[in-house]
Amino acid sequence: MALINGVTIAIVLFGIGLLGLILRRDLVIKLLALGLVNGSTILCLVSLNARVDGVAPIVHSPASVPYVDPLPHALVLSAIVINFAILALALVFVMLLVERYHTTDSQRIEHEIEGERTP
Amino acid sequence: MMVALLPLVHFGFAALSLAWGRVTRELILLSLVVDAVLVGLLSAGLSQGKPLVIVLGGWEKGIGIELAADRFSLTLTVLVLLLGGAVVAYLWHERLRPYFFMLLHLLLGSVYTLVFARDLFNIYVTLELLTLVSFLLVGYERKPYQIWASLKYLLLASLGLGIYLLGVAIIYYHTGTLNLGLVAARLLDQPNAPWVLLASSLLVTGVAVKSGIFIFSLWLPAAHSSATPAVSALLSGLVIKMGVVVLFRLTSAFSLSLPLLVLGALTGLLGVIYAIFTYDLKRMLAFHTLSQIGYITLGIGIGSEIGIAGSLEYIVGHGLFKGLLFLAAGVAVQTAGEGDIPGLIARRAKIPLSARVALLVGTLGIMGVPPLAGFCGKSLLSAGVQSPVIQTVLILISLGTVASFAKLIPLFRIERGPSSTWPVKLAFVILGLPILLFLPLARLLVPATQLSLSLHVLPFVKSLLVVGGGLLLYRLLSRRPFHLPQRIFRLEEAILVILSGFFLIYLLSVLG
Repeated sequence: MALINGVTIAIVLFGIGLLGLILRRDLVIKLLALGLVNGSTILCLVSLNARVDGVAPIVHSPASVPYVDPLPHALVLSAIVINFAILALALVFVMLLVERYHTTDSQRIEHEIEGERTP
Repeated sequence: MMVALLPLVHFGFAALSLAWGRVTRELILLSLVVDAVLVGLLSAGLSQGKPLVIVLGGWEKGIGIELAADRFSLTLTVLVLLLGGAVVAYLWHERLRPYFFMLLHLLLGSVYTLVFARDLFNIYVTLELLTLVSFLLVGYERKPYQIWASLKYLLLASLGLGIYLLGVAIIYYHTGTLNLGLVAARLLDQPNAPWVLLASSLLVTGVAVKSGIFIFSLWLPAAHSSATPAVSALLSGLVIKMGVVVLFRLTSAFSLSLPLLVLGALTGLLGVIYAIFTYDLKRMLAFHTLSQIGYITLGIGIGSEIGIAGSLEYIVGHGLFKGLLFLAAGVAVQTAGEGDIPGLIARRAKIPLSARVALLVGTLGIMGVPPLAGFCGKSLLSAGVQSPVIQTVLILISLGTVASFAKLIPLFRIERGPSSTWPVKLAFVILGLPILLFLPLARLLVPATQLSLSLHVLPFVKSLLVVGGGLLLYRLLSRRPFHLPQRIFRLEEAILVILSGFFLIYLLSVLG
């Protein structure tokens, strides 16, 4: 197995996403990093179950040819849709916060909110 | 049939409540009646003792999504019904948009799905749906602290479920199936292969983020204390339990005993320590969700039949009294205009008597005073434990629980206050009555032979001693203000803690 394949790239991307989530203070960049993390899990799911010599899993293709497992495709589609929904809703809430505090800096927002709750 | 209908009904009602915005209250009441009928049919179907299994779409097992109902799931559906009824009663006179009721239906529907789920990916999708719905419910009032708490929840839960999906990918690569029963069968010959340990710790980490285990669910105190009372009651009483139920289902395929025992002890003890030094009522209740999840996780970690039965009893008991406590706390905080316990005590004359009685019942329940709900679960759990270390942990958690709830005692002076409306009182009765009558009702939950283990004189004496000791502990600690680190509840730190938690679980499953 080659050193650079889908799984290793997914692991690297996962790590980059995690670093982005932890180190960057900008909420929008945090959401992008979360997208990277979730995208890398999808890449991992696809490349683990990939089959280079397979054909598309359609019933009418000749039975002798090895075909690709169709289930991961279904899984990946659902996962992508879910991640899209999460990203969209999170962006709406970030927008509400930005309208009020005029910043996307997570630590400043957290600081101001803690200040408001315990005067 | 009922197994597939129960979730579906609510997704249908979710669409209806948007279409007919004028009758949302009546619609949700109707949906609960339908649920009750379906649960009745389900229990009749289960009375032969065999689990009901359905594979959706008529596929064969292993290809289609499997839903199954056993006694465990039946008990949980009853809990869903009770909590749902109480919350609907509590919200009867509130002015809410149809959108809120749509979210409630979606929440109930996904909870029912999780109760029956036996498919790793189905669990993933439903947990994500539950995350989205609770995210929207926590931020419903659009106050800045609610928005921030729910955003933090969404980020952490989404990260956790990403980790879970990695575990699913590995499992599917090696076993070629997502059905938990088939995974268990195919893992029989290699239970400790390195990839199994890696996958199971990924799965457990992901689910633990959703299920209120202390080092993973650091979003919980903020989210559960800032939501509206009805939402907090549902989140603490039901949604968190679904994570634990998934953990329980995972134990059928993986050997998770040691990780679950350590996690249970950690979350129980840390949650109790934080609760003792927290003086905000709703935040303290939220910390107690973390601590009481410790009992349930310990019971699942023990893995014996009595341990599981104790966990189940405690899931139901905790759902009831935590729901009641959150609803009553909501009334108390609203009428007194204070969230702090000393402030509430100073203004207790403004709090309706019914809310104070409800708080009392919930407090006695969670303290484990016999013969209420908390006592039954706790005594059954400790009857199932052999190891003295776990026994000590259980007693320590109980002591801390009593000590932290002792702060509320001055609230319970009997004096007349304003009256609350009848639907709110009805909500208190729906949850309070089963707490008081838990002992006779528990016969329906667990076989009589197991129940009799918890009904000796010894557990009675022990729990009374624990209550006394806890009150003493409170007297010792109450003069010492102590500041525990609050930084770990911030977003960045919470992510770091989750990652280190993953390595902890991996290490424990290698050792176990």
